[in-house]
Amino acid sequence: MRLLLAPALGVLAIFAVALGALFQYSVVAFIPGSLQTGGLTLANFRSVISSQYLGYVWDTVVLSLATTALTLVASYPVAYALARAPSRMVRSWLLVLTLAPFFTGAIVRTYAWILVLGNTVVTWPVPLLFTERGVLIGLVHFSMPTMILLLAAAISHVDPALERAAASLGARPARVFRRVTLPLSMPGIISGSLVVFAWTLSAFPTPELLGGGRVKMIANAVKDLALDSFNWPGAAAFAVVALALTLVLMGGLGRLAAGHEAE
Amino acid sequence: MRSWMRFGIRFGIVIAMLVVPLAGATGVQAADPLVVSIWGGNWKDTVERIVAKPFTAKTGIPVEFEVGGTIDRLAKARVAKGNPLVDLNFTTSHVARLYISDGLYAPLDMAKLPNAKELAREALRSEYHIGSWAYVYTVVYRPDLVKEDITRWSDLWKPSLKGKIALPDFDPSHIITIAALMEGGNELTWEKGQERLRQLKPSIVAFYSTDAQSQDLMKTGQAPVQVMLTVNAYHLQEQGIAVKVVQPADYPGIVGIDTMAVMAGTKRADAAHQFINMVLSKEIQSQLVESLRAGPVNVGAAVPAKLKGQPGIFTTPAEWKERGYIMNDEARAKTLPAWREWFTANIVKK
Repeated sequence: MRLLLAPALGVLAIFAVALGALFQYSVVAFIPGSLQTGGLTLANFRSVISSQYLGYVWDTVVLSLATTALTLVASYPVAYALARAPSRMVRSWLLVLTLAPFFTGAIVRTYAWILVLGNTVVTWPVPLLFTERGVLIGLVHFSMPTMILLLAAAISHVDPALERAAASLGARPARVFRRVTLPLSMPGIISGSLVVFAWTLSAFPTPELLGGGRVKMIANAVKDLALDSFNWPGAAAFAVVALALTLVLMGGLGRLAAGHEAE
Repeated sequence: MRSWMRFGIRFGIVIAMLVVPLAGATGVQAADPLVVSIWGGNWKDTVERIVAKPFTAKTGIPVEFEVGGTIDRLAKARVAKGNPLVDLNFTTSHVARLYISDGLYAPLDMAKLPNAKELAREALRSEYHIGSWAYVYTVVYRPDLVKEDITRWSDLWKPSLKGKIALPDFDPSHIITIAALMEGGNELTWEKGQERLRQLKPSIVAFYSTDAQSQDLMKTGQAPVQVMLTVNAYHLQEQGIAVKVVQPADYPGIVGIDTMAVMAGTKRADAAHQFINMVLSKEIQSQLVESLRAGPVNVGAAVPAKLKGQPGIFTTPAEWKERGYIMNDEARAKTLPAWREWFTANIVKK
């Protein structure tokens, strides 16, 4: 039995070594114009806890929350139809359309959004490309398939007899949805929201391409520090801060979710 | 008879055991390739076609390529320090300073580079790295989308260009230097141009992180005016996009020189020097100019008539001096993090 744990422990060890290297890099001094590093220092952390970098953290959290909320709202009706449409053909088509984005890479999808959001095909009343709005649209689109699948799985586990019983007792459709379907599909809402929030926190290509350099999330700022400024210790420090933040946020949300499930 | 047969078979096996590994070893040695690290896409394809093939035909040494982004390759070189995975490296002149700072390059043996005598002085970057071709960052625009002529760097500040300009955000050194030059400074006193740069902010619609992004922004018309690499601008022209490459009348374009170097610890230093020498030859330089639309570093190289006098194509020592501004590599490598930090906080951030 212990032997079966070996591969998992091996993977864990590799991740631990990589994280160790990240921590080690984060506490050595950056020497501009050189790949050599100086002695031990906490200066990298002081630099990335400046208003500029905290601004990226704030933008990332706000965009992640907005993406999660909008993805949930946009995905729920599709997931409901996917789980409950009477026609098998409609359900099949919905499934195909939901899965279709998985067959195109994130970069291809994002480039397509550049054409759509820019004023080349449609003239939008407000600028969308290279703005937070445009990045948000791209992130929601990117997240929807996963959210739809998780929600549809949860909704399909809700016994329709319960909804019929509520209706037979005089509840209108909106009340049935609010008091029966929605609470019973909460496991899907929680797991979908956690997944979308977690991966939006680390989003990279969507803000990189749709943000036009103006919208930066944590991953973009880490890349800028490491690859453009050659400041690897600074990038490591910001990555450590981002990792800690992600753990805290995910831990908090996980607790909330666990509390809800216990109720 | 049987014993003779047995002896014959055993003898044959022993000989085969001795000869086959020796032949194999000789074969491996002869086929031991020169590994060249370079950017992917057109850069690698061009160097493979124009340099590597004739190099192999002449020397019998096969050439393999390791392709990747500038910093990916730097990171790989760093972890393989002392036992390099590649023998010869192409990178930009100021990033080469990072390789040098970490002892990743071997000093060049100039006796093995006779063609270097024909180079423009500016191409001899250090005792470790030497130029392969040049280009400039200058103003490029689409006349079909921008109605007035742009002839000077200072035209970028015209209010009519509001919301039309794109700049590189991975390296703002070009526009920072130009703004400093306009205010009587240079890259070392770059703070002088800060206020002027702030005034440019309303005109900037996007910042690009890659050459591909820059070209897409130009093609789609999202950013019809850009501070752009001439090589990319000429590439767009070949694709039928009518862009105008400006030879600015007020200040020169900012020169970029891509460089070559031999990796420290390589066992193929001689072959690497032969390869570099071949790149520097007049004949190969002419073909590189034709294919890459970059400027030659060998001042004796023939340049196609249509490219002569174009921005980024320098054919005489005087042109190198007058039509391009060459930044101090070392200062650029050292100051780039500070430039980026200021630029991001003050210009990029809304």
